[in-house]
Amino acid sequence: MSENHTRLTPTARLNRWLKNVACAAKARRQAAKKRSLHGVNEHSEPVANAGLASTAVFRLPVKWLVSGPPFIFLLLFFAAPGIIMVLASFRYPGEFGGLAPVIATDPNTLHGFTLETYRFFFSDLIYTEIFAKSFLVALATTLICLVMAYPLALLIARSPKKSRNLMVLLVILPFASNFLIRIYAWMILLGPQAVLSHLVNGLLGAFGMAPVHLLFSSFAVLVAMVYVHLPFMVLPLYTNLEKHDPALLDAARDLGANAWQRFWCVTFPLSLPGIFSGSTLVFIPVLGMFAIPDILGGTGDMLIGNLIKEQFLGTRDWPFGSTLSIMLTIAVLACVWLAARLGGRRKRHA
Amino acid sequence: MRGLLLFLLLLAGNARAEGVLHIYNWNNYISEETVTRFEAQCACRVMQDYYSDNEEMLAKLAAGASGYDIIVPTGNAMESLIRQKALRPLDKSKLPNLRNINPAYLNTAFDPDNKYSVPYAYTITLIGYNVEKMRELGLPTDTWAVIFEPEYLKKVKGRITVLDSQRELMAAALKYLGYSANDTIEAHWKQARDLIIRAKPYWAAFNASSYIKELTIGDVWLVHGYSNDIFQANLDAQKAGRKFSIASSIPTQGAVLALDSMVLHKTGPRPDLAHRFINFMLDGKNSAELTNLIGSGNPNLDAMRYIKPEIAQNPAIFPDSQHQAKLEMLHDLDRNQRRILSRMWTEIKLR
Repeated sequence: MSENHTRLTPTARLNRWLKNVACAAKARRQAAKKRSLHGVNEHSEPVANAGLASTAVFRLPVKWLVSGPPFIFLLLFFAAPGIIMVLASFRYPGEFGGLAPVIATDPNTLHGFTLETYRFFFSDLIYTEIFAKSFLVALATTLICLVMAYPLALLIARSPKKSRNLMVLLVILPFASNFLIRIYAWMILLGPQAVLSHLVNGLLGAFGMAPVHLLFSSFAVLVAMVYVHLPFMVLPLYTNLEKHDPALLDAARDLGANAWQRFWCVTFPLSLPGIFSGSTLVFIPVLGMFAIPDILGGTGDMLIGNLIKEQFLGTRDWPFGSTLSIMLTIAVLACVWLAARLGGRRKRHA
Repeated sequence: MRGLLLFLLLLAGNARAEGVLHIYNWNNYISEETVTRFEAQCACRVMQDYYSDNEEMLAKLAAGASGYDIIVPTGNAMESLIRQKALRPLDKSKLPNLRNINPAYLNTAFDPDNKYSVPYAYTITLIGYNVEKMRELGLPTDTWAVIFEPEYLKKVKGRITVLDSQRELMAAALKYLGYSANDTIEAHWKQARDLIIRAKPYWAAFNASSYIKELTIGDVWLVHGYSNDIFQANLDAQKAGRKFSIASSIPTQGAVLALDSMVLHKTGPRPDLAHRFINFMLDGKNSAELTNLIGSGNPNLDAMRYIKPEIAQNPAIFPDSQHQAKLEMLHDLDRNQRRILSRMWTEIKLR
């Protein structure tokens, strides 16, 4: 019941607003966009506040009981390893792997702390290059996922309520089988004897072009990256789009907005938070992915994840592996900060 | 972290029944029947953990894994374990079957006098190929040139994979250039790197695992790979009724031999059982079972009479003395060399 109430308010406001200002002049359209976002915030804030108010009723021990375990978990398995990693990056690699001692038993061996891994990293453009390449792959994956997921999420959100759950289930169904098995399946699908390969090469042959290998290529890596991460884009978008009040679109239609205007002036701006969270959920895991390039990549598809993995296995150079991981973490945090700022600025302006 | 792991292992240890032998071994590196027979003989249980490369095993031990009685590392990894003082010396009075081992595989540079290790099996890193395709294309199969020279490579473009291993690929390139597989002169490494970068556009992938399958189904015709993997690929191809066969050959320039040995880890709680197991595995019949299963090379002279004749007569598994003389075992690199090689490897992958 209360949900109805909170929903009514922004709708009524927007209706009034749209009545006064038609979605015609560009400046006004902009305003409507912000206004509509404002509506969503107003819609969600009371819900969030209600949640906060009810936790305040809990007495202190209960509060700790609720928040304590996840807090300790994060401290133990996120903060502590993070600190260990930072410390490791300032040390020398051990002769057989692991780390050289901080305090030497034999003064002739390497020991203590050093900046050499950072010097090694920054003295060589090749590592910056591999970062840039990984960012490009992550960006491409995110964009393709977005373009593919948006119509799907919209379709699910606009379907009758009954079939929505089934459709969402279908989206997450691939998770029922193991990640590696799904990647290996792509080896068969993209292999030179597969239908797809015959189709593509038949087409290329008709235009007199040389046949291509689909498997073991950057193309295969991108396909699998998109395939694996698509649900992470669909789900946040769907949860966002599903909450949109259909009355907003009716109002826009009443005011003479065509289908494109209804999408661009109403639906799209309202879905921005979904786009941001979906993009973050895709971009960050892709950045660290090493299994897909390992299995499906060709001879030139090393990404930063592969390089880090190799420092800990083949090269047994923990300090340099730690340095690379820290650089990756910094890069990821910078991205999240940027996304948050982009999202946040819209809120403040509203 | 190490403390926590140890604690967890101890916890697991208390839950264990009496008489359990813990082996940390390669994937698919012992026959099921052999294990069952040993369990019956010693009235104990054999628990196995597996690794798929030495680095993985070393990394796990470096991170504090313990409680393994027996590990089966390759020479250079074993050397590293010996120098870390992580191994327990053998009591040879408990290993009468040691006399079965071919002296050619004893007293290696990694473990003089075999204080810590007993040879288990070996693999050779060589060239594997689709026999019919190579004949059809008229390509040689007894030289590394077929992997590195564009004049040959252009005939198999996109149908060839090389191992995704810095050391193995560099060793092949160094061998082709006429250097030792263990050469560490940077100028020679750079030559090898350039050779690899020149050949790379013709290769389909750096591949350490799925090339067996790719050979079997006929998508890949030529590989730089391990002898027992190629043996496996041929078995699979025959089983699937393919019209071609897969063979392997040791290039005339020489190749890398990886000798895996059984060693006792210091943290193993049951050295007595471990010695019994090693002596059991040194028995010709038990040792031959592994070779018959996976086509691994066998350093056990007594095993030869139990090995299937088609394997015993395969020159890529049991090479003649001329080829044998050109096989080299890889030595461990020091930390600076490892970092330099990794830097080169990144360049190879990125170019």
